[in-house]
Amino acid sequence: MNRKKGDKGFESPRPYKLTHQVVCINNINFQRKSVVGFVELTIFPTVANLNRIKLNSKQCRIYRVRINDLEAAFIYNDPTLEVCHSESKQRNLNYFSNAYAAAVSAVDPDAGNGELCIKVPSELWKHVDELKVLKIHINFSLDQPKGGLHFVVPSVEGSMAERGAHVFSCGYQNSTRFWFPCVDSYSELCTWKLEFTVDAAMVAVSNGDLVETVYTHDMRKKTFHYMLTIPTAASNISLAIGPFEILVDPYMHEVTHFCLPQLLPLLKHTTSYLHEVFEFYEEILTCRYPYSCFKTVFIDEAYVEVAAYASMSIFSTNLLHSAMIIDETPLTRRCLAQSLAQQFFGCFISRMSWSDEWVLKGISGYIYGLWMKKTFGVNEYRHWIKEELDKIVAYELKTGGVLLHPIFGGGKEKDNPASHLHFSIKHPHTLSWEYYTMFQCKAHLVMRLIENRISMEFMLQVFNKLLSLASTASSQKFQSHMWIQMLVSTSGFLKSISNVSGKDIQPLIKQWVDQSGVVKFYGSFAFNRKRNVLELEIKQDYTSPGTQKYVGPLKVTVQELDGSFNHTLQIEENSLKHDIPCHSKSRRNKKKKIPLMNGEEVDMDLSAMDADSPLLWIRIDPDMSVLRKVEFEQADFMWQYQLRYERDVVAQQESILALEKFPTPASRLALTDILEQEQCFYRVRMSACFCLAKIANSMVSTWTGPPAMKSLFTRMFCCKTCPNIVKTNNFISFQSYFLQKTMPVAMALLRDVHNLCPKEVLTFILDLIKYNDNRKNKFSDNYYRAEMIDALANSVTPAVSVNNEVRTLDNLNPDVRLILEEITRFLNMEKLLPSYRHTITVSCLRAIRVLQKNGHVPSDPALFKSYAEYGHFVDIRIAALEAVVDYTKVDRSYEELQWLLNMIQNDPVPYVRHKILNMLTKNPPFTKNMESPLCNEALVDQLWKLMNSGES
Amino acid sequence: MADTAAAGGAGGSGTRSGSKQSTNPADNYYLARRRTLQVVVSSLLTEAGFESAEKASVETLTEMLQSYISEIGRSAKSYCEHTARTQPTLSDIVVTLVEMGFNVDTLPAYAKRSQRMVITAPPVTNQPVTPKALTAGQNRPHPPHIPSHFPEFPDPHTYIKTPTYREPVSDYQVLREKAASQRRDVERALTRFMAKTGETQSLFKDDVSTFPLIAARPFTIPYLTALLPSELEMQQMEETDSSEQDEQTDTENLALHISTDDSGAEKENTSVLQQNPSLSGSRNGEENVIDNPYLRPVKKPKIRRKKSLS
Repeated sequence: MNRKKGDKGFESPRPYKLTHQVVCINNINFQRKSVVGFVELTIFPTVANLNRIKLNSKQCRIYRVRINDLEAAFIYNDPTLEVCHSESKQRNLNYFSNAYAAAVSAVDPDAGNGELCIKVPSELWKHVDELKVLKIHINFSLDQPKGGLHFVVPSVEGSMAERGAHVFSCGYQNSTRFWFPCVDSYSELCTWKLEFTVDAAMVAVSNGDLVETVYTHDMRKKTFHYMLTIPTAASNISLAIGPFEILVDPYMHEVTHFCLPQLLPLLKHTTSYLHEVFEFYEEILTCRYPYSCFKTVFIDEAYVEVAAYASMSIFSTNLLHSAMIIDETPLTRRCLAQSLAQQFFGCFISRMSWSDEWVLKGISGYIYGLWMKKTFGVNEYRHWIKEELDKIVAYELKTGGVLLHPIFGGGKEKDNPASHLHFSIKHPHTLSWEYYTMFQCKAHLVMRLIENRISMEFMLQVFNKLLSLASTASSQKFQSHMWIQMLVSTSGFLKSISNVSGKDIQPLIKQWVDQSGVVKFYGSFAFNRKRNVLELEIKQDYTSPGTQKYVGPLKVTVQELDGSFNHTLQIEENSLKHDIPCHSKSRRNKKKKIPLMNGEEVDMDLSAMDADSPLLWIRIDPDMSVLRKVEFEQADFMWQYQLRYERDVVAQQESILALEKFPTPASRLALTDILEQEQCFYRVRMSACFCLAKIANSMVSTWTGPPAMKSLFTRMFCCKTCPNIVKTNNFISFQSYFLQKTMPVAMALLRDVHNLCPKEVLTFILDLIKYNDNRKNKFSDNYYRAEMIDALANSVTPAVSVNNEVRTLDNLNPDVRLILEEITRFLNMEKLLPSYRHTITVSCLRAIRVLQKNGHVPSDPALFKSYAEYGHFVDIRIAALEAVVDYTKVDRSYEELQWLLNMIQNDPVPYVRHKILNMLTKNPPFTKNMESPLCNEALVDQLWKLMNSGES
Repeated sequence: MADTAAAGGAGGSGTRSGSKQSTNPADNYYLARRRTLQVVVSSLLTEAGFESAEKASVETLTEMLQSYISEIGRSAKSYCEHTARTQPTLSDIVVTLVEMGFNVDTLPAYAKRSQRMVITAPPVTNQPVTPKALTAGQNRPHPPHIPSHFPEFPDPHTYIKTPTYREPVSDYQVLREKAASQRRDVERALTRFMAKTGETQSLFKDDVSTFPLIAARPFTIPYLTALLPSELEMQQMEETDSSEQDEQTDTENLALHISTDDSGAEKENTSVLQQNPSLSGSRNGEENVIDNPYLRPVKKPKIRRKKSLS
């Protein structure tokens, strides 16, 4: 695993060096969705006999190539258009995957390849031998692009600007080649001149500084001239053109925000926070924002919610919100912060090769995490880390390992680290989307592990060093060899860590970066009273897929009567048992307060605990310093103590999860107490709701009181005088808002002895809806009402059906009738008074599908299909499509599957296409060994064709 | 005021009088007046030396006289009201007569002419009792600061309010209940109406009316309704400092639509050029002057070599 590239620096795979590129798009036709323009690349050959130049270009039509004003011959070949040859008879995933990987690497710029091969005219050979500059001028056009550039053209009356038509660049990883010929690699940096001629009513937003805007001679169009003097990779070049409203940030005048017409007030509110994110990053990195300006553009039909490019970020317009919306605000702020983190690491600092991607994703994710800690608090941060950890653990255990730093040594094809996957991990384009998401998740978690090892101070020093080296390099004009400092590599990063901190983090890197998999611990313990010793047994599972063996230190925290004690165990090859001496004799002073980890001293009711043992609870790896899953066994009362008294939100969450297995009155009480505690983190309280519902259901035969949480909800949110009426909404306190939203949803999961939702609960929820009054609230209650509908849906249980009779109105269950009435009213009201992001329609559609599935309402996809059509808001479409996918699975309808596949091929919004595929894989209509009428040859043909011809 | 009313009334009844003899006291009153006018006309005719006249011509002259007098009354009233009075004075009449082309100076002589005939006063008939408008209570006297010549207060019933309220329902529960069910009823009625009048979708094939769902209609620009929901508009009473917003849109318009105003663009251009040295966006942005490349006006094309426009 030695890094060959090592310190020798970066060797370009290309026989030339690009220094400057001009992109000029002088005609954009929204009607025909076409683009005409030219590019001019300035390159310096680095070898004497350069006679062919390979560039990247996809789906562009190339008219003419000239080198230094001499016509040059060129060949255009894109092997990814047809991955497997049509005549080949073989059709299986392995074959496809190999062929696809081969096709991608055949055009991979990092291997010196490209789709476009240009012959250097013989007249210039001598010129080339002297390694003199070449200027390659390429005229191209683009017609109805399938990727790269996305046109949004609403079909209403008026000029394109009045209609709100816009176009923007998009794509996954390096996909700039989709819209102009370039060297589409993150490692080929150059300076840029960008020119876009657009309609006079439109604005073209692109990278770098807007130098000037000039009218064309007929005064009907104008040309935007951009200059990007910081060397940037083609993959970080972007464009957005539309009739945007312009907002100059009132705090930072060099920051400009753009949104579609009519949304300016929302834009103002949404971006009003951005300057704080700027300040935060600049402060921790002790480095100014590297570009001289920054632009945010909010567009419709976004490819991804956030896309960061050099000095500009493209966001989905759906992130915009007004001050009245609670739920969207933190999400949007996170998106803004994420994109800004990527401005530093990802756009300004680029990567040397694909295998160094984890450093960039890791650092940007890590500093984003720091921002989150500062903005939303330590609890939120730890909760997020735990969430991300759970995600990556679940993915790796299910699908197999995620390898951060793939090294492709020659000849070792046999032990391909990714043999468990259906795809090659050598190229970003061959990865599955989900894998890449998990990859990013793991990357920032590993950065956090490095921070744990070398301290945050050093970590930030390393980042600062990377940034300051890069900014020195970026100011060097025309000394392009210096620009390599702007590329980060794994080895460079590690070297600067060891320089700064003087610590050796090789084992850590080896464990988590060079190797895939997570650790799975099983823990149990016994208390030896005679020796006053805790005998801890920790086993590991390192044979299942996606796991690895962990050797090294492991922290264990033991809360005893006399206080909390940390122990560091050495996990070695096969040692399972660890003896930990206890500090306190059991039960010496009954009245004494018990000191906690954070120095707090509390009174506890110790009657529940084992009289012989001083142990209150035990936690393994409390700081999440290993990427692991821990299954630990301790008694129910220990979990209860942990829930009540441990102040770490992660510990509380873990104990809530564990308590599900202990349906006892004591657990119930502990959960209820947590629910009531105002100081407790709201997310913990929310998950306590659901746990409580589960426990109550397991205890249903012995419980006689009112339904769980009802009296609690009444006490917290209902009027003092009339307990069945909820107070008028006041969402000033967000904690109680979230709790108020969640409790009914959890309550609806309660079941009585007949496994039905108790009548009392249903009436309660219906009353909540009935008495909901938002007139005096300064916030919108649309999310709240949507959750009430979710609660109604949760209360639905399968219909009792006598020999499969047809569902008609007459035999409708009276409870369901009430539910249906509410849904009808809500859904209809939405048509007249729509809610923000149509949250209510989304919930209604989901609820209707639940009713259909449970046999109360005839199963019929027609309604959902109408909502899934293009022209509805994207959230509605996704909800409706989810229902159709589910229908396809349950009713095994070939027709619907065809309809879905048709949409996958033809829908204008790439996000929706991707989402349908995603949903079909998550909820497949049939599985491998299942007999299904859907599984037939025609389908295979169709899918194969889809895979084979699609753009990446 | 009385003149015109009388004249108008007389005219009205005059046209009717031929057809039927009315017995109405008001009509009697008007008839008596008209008869007097006829007598006047007749005596004037006699004075002028006529011995007999056809009835039709007498009628015509009567009409003319009546119109003349009515016009004097109407004009005099206008003059008096013009000077903010309610009662016409002599001067009003004089001005009126002058206006109508009558030589006022001849009037005294004419009045004192020798051969004039004396007409008997019209028979005293009661003024027609204008049916008393419903009066309730006593009109309020003017407060001291209002001069007495101003019109009187209208009847008290037109402005006095007598609040009649029941004991207000203060029971919270009942109120909430009421508000909730009222809103629900309105919503249900409205949605049902919309569903009835438009296209619907149904969850049950056999029954379209019980749970009618208004059919889903795709929007041309779906994000607008989703992000600017009308629901919030209604709730949004505060918000958006309008002046600030105006300013913003102004500058933006300037940037976007400057093409409409060439001279303005020219002017802007020069001013920007002056600012140019101090730009290169740094955070020391001076107050007021936001230098942002997107706010700068668009330059006019320079005369240069042919642009490559394809």
